[in-house]
Amino acid sequence: MSKSRLVVVGGGVGGAAAVVELRKEGFDGSITLISAENTVPYERPPLSKEFLLGAPAADSTVEDAAWYEQQEIELLLGVRGTQLDLTARTITLSDGSAIGYDGLLLATGVRPRILQGIGGEGVCYLRTVTDATELRDRIRAAEHVAMLGGGFIGCEIAAAAIQLGKRTTILEALPSLLHRALGPALGDVVAGIHRDKGVDVRTGQFVTGVQRRPRGGVRIGTAEGTIEADVLVVGVGTVPNQELAEQAGLPTGDGIAVDECFATAAPGVYAIGDVAAQHLPRYGRHVRVEHHDTAIRHGRAAARNILGRREPFSDVHWFWSDQYEHSIQSAGIAGDTEQLIIRGSLEHRSFSAFCLDGDRLRAVISLNRPRDVLDVRRLITHNHSATVDQLRDESVPLKRLAAPPSAVTVRPSPLLQRGHRMGQDTCRRIGHRRTGRRHHP
Amino acid sequence: MSVRWQETINVDDLWEGDMTAVTVNGEAVLLVNIDGTVRAYSNRCPHQASALDEGDLDGETLTCAKHLWEFNAATGCGINPDNARLTSFGCKVGDDGTVYVDIGR
Repeated sequence: MSKSRLVVVGGGVGGAAAVVELRKEGFDGSITLISAENTVPYERPPLSKEFLLGAPAADSTVEDAAWYEQQEIELLLGVRGTQLDLTARTITLSDGSAIGYDGLLLATGVRPRILQGIGGEGVCYLRTVTDATELRDRIRAAEHVAMLGGGFIGCEIAAAAIQLGKRTTILEALPSLLHRALGPALGDVVAGIHRDKGVDVRTGQFVTGVQRRPRGGVRIGTAEGTIEADVLVVGVGTVPNQELAEQAGLPTGDGIAVDECFATAAPGVYAIGDVAAQHLPRYGRHVRVEHHDTAIRHGRAAARNILGRREPFSDVHWFWSDQYEHSIQSAGIAGDTEQLIIRGSLEHRSFSAFCLDGDRLRAVISLNRPRDVLDVRRLITHNHSATVDQLRDESVPLKRLAAPPSAVTVRPSPLLQRGHRMGQDTCRRIGHRRTGRRHHP
Repeated sequence: MSVRWQETINVDDLWEGDMTAVTVNGEAVLLVNIDGTVRAYSNRCPHQASALDEGDLDGETLTCAKHLWEFNAATGCGINPDNARLTSFGCKVGDDGTVYVDIGR
């Protein structure tokens, strides 16, 4: 093992997965995990869902504090990296201290995009458990909860707010909910789900300004009039926390540029998770996703790469969003959401929408059909061939689209030709094996 | 606690590499056949209780369709996350191929 001191900047699930994997793989050098938050790494997905409904946050730590102690992992909580010196291999922290590294993993994640002029009392953004705790208290005390932005954050919080019995409004500038992720047709289905639950969904709405009400809450100006709400949750996208890398002169664009093995342009420096823009040959470009599952997979895979294995990342990107009793899932990276091929029924809210490139599947977005997502996830990494008709036809199992293993020509064996034959017992066992492996055509 | 073997399906109906859900005394039970050995688990994912038979069994890896938690179906141990575990039930196959499950009540 060549590295003796590894420093991980960022206390999300990606950074946590990396330190867990480093120890699991036998790395016995020193590990330091730096997090801007005051808690050990925890799961964020519940924060926009069950946590708002009252589930305790304590259940969702990746590992508890004792584990880090046992594993001799130094935790520096409540501090952030402020300066990175690639030549001296040191990182300066917000408390003024500096630490050296042999290997550095940047897992700094993203932060909510802040809308200029929209903030202060009554306006909430959601990223951390601190944000979520404040939001939960504000939603509890509110009569009317408004969401600015109908993306995943807005939709999930709206679902929680309405389940808590609050009057709930979503204001979205684009023509449908989840428009960027799902496109207009599927986004409309999601809007229908929220409307049926009682959410006032207003798409195509441009917010012109937000004022604070004297007695608390906000007055939201839109092109169509004014809306008053006790709390306004802004979920209008994110900004990658790439300043540390940028300032050090590492190549960045939308995220920190890394190769298939998570390496940045500087020796010994890697980046993963939401902040990493990873070059992937499958797509022929840099891909940055903000998926929980991908962050964890990145963390594990990067740890192994840091330890000297060369393991290019090839896992299929996957995400889910649970809203009410509905489950949205996607595998792969959807390109043009205008060209989706639908299996199932939009009207009945049970469908899979496929992105096809020639005869190859690139992605699937499903509502309440998780099996399809599992199947496509596997097909993407295997040889397969699909047509529009096959994808639309429910009677064609998706598994069938996998290319059969190269055909084996069966010839009678020379022994059989010479008159030998199998014993009856052998035949019976082969032909009628009670627990024979199922043959997939 | 006394062992209470409850009759379920016949092993003929559960191919190697396959899984199926059965109900035993009102309990949702997942039966998996790994290389000829049948094992019984609670059919509820330890994460959010989703039905595991709606997921995928690939070799020994059982994947819950809801949030892609993965388990080793031969041992019940979590793969991803590795600190999770399936709830295991006693299971045996009688001479006539009947699969018996003991859910402890």
